[in-house]
Amino acid sequence: MQQEKDPLNLGSLPLVSPHPDDWSLIEAALRKQHSHRRILRLAGSTLAIAATTILAVSIFVYRPFATSQAPAGAELLQTAGVEEIAPIDAPPPDTLGSLIALSQELESNLRKIRSQAGLMPTSVVIYQVELEDLVAQVDEELSMHPDSLDLWSQRINLMLDLSQLFQNELRREYQQMASL
Amino acid sequence: MSKSPFDIELDDMTLARARRGDMDACEQIYRKFQQPAYSVAYRICHCPELSRDVTQEAFITAFRKIRQFRGDSPFWGWLRRVVVNHTISALRKLPRADVVELQEYHAHTEGAQEQIGLSMDLESALTTLNHEDRAVVWLHDVEGYNHQEIARLFGKTESFSKTRLSRARAKLRSILEEKVNPIGFSKLESATR
Repeated sequence: MQQEKDPLNLGSLPLVSPHPDDWSLIEAALRKQHSHRRILRLAGSTLAIAATTILAVSIFVYRPFATSQAPAGAELLQTAGVEEIAPIDAPPPDTLGSLIALSQELESNLRKIRSQAGLMPTSVVIYQVELEDLVAQVDEELSMHPDSLDLWSQRINLMLDLSQLFQNELRREYQQMASL
Repeated sequence: MSKSPFDIELDDMTLARARRGDMDACEQIYRKFQQPAYSVAYRICHCPELSRDVTQEAFITAFRKIRQFRGDSPFWGWLRRVVVNHTISALRKLPRADVVELQEYHAHTEGAQEQIGLSMDLESALTTLNHEDRAVVWLHDVEGYNHQEIARLFGKTESFSKTRLSRARAKLRSILEEKVNPIGFSKLESATR
């Protein structure tokens, strides 16, 4: 059985140790990542609040024109005897649709950039993993609140950050090649 | 079937602590699996710098995503998958004609010193294989991957894995026989004389 599985006895080769011990590098990277995560969370919530405020203000400014022009949606709601729902709770479908479309476009661009990027240094991988994890968290929340403009905005910002990260890395690699 | 060098038991307490982000627990895990992780990367890449980078990245990813480990299979299997995935992914990004020099390796037990002659032959024979052949033969013969798993890893068919394994073994055999008998007679030929 041993002969069939490992006929050349490759398993007899000894284990190899990395030199020097790399735990300190890994630990530093993990600690940096933890503090970076805290900063990102803080920045994320600040951005979310800012985005919500801007959205609320823009909707408030836009609303008088919208009601005076009596859009079709509002008419339908009035004729149906349903009170108009505040736009902040139910975002205009076109806004939501455009955010989703933008998110999809960024996702597709990101896939292309990622396939072109080479092996990235540890410091960059830490940010990449962190950002991807945040995207996963946002996706999880989006599965419960699929119409949340705030969450879609956060997702777009994270995708932009990821694209930036890969683009910077590609630029760095190119500069290294050009300097040869 | 030979045991994978990764097959090391990890206690539930250490795992639970690592999942909570306890650095001491992460360090314990790193110390336990550092050698098999680096070894598998090195045996496939045959480049110390690349293997070092790959191992670091793999451990960072593993600790970052350790909460995703569901515990329905042994931890070492999950960690090995992370390391092997990182290694194969790194290899895919390398230019095809990348030449890697044979590096000195360190035997870890005194008894292993006796085997250095044979090991060096195997070691140098392995360097003559291309990355994909080396990865296939190592993952199949040492790590115990089956053809289906290897095919999935490379995004290819099972016949790719079978062909590569057969080709890699044949090449290794011919090199090793040449080393044993440099004038060109194989053991079989010598025996029939």
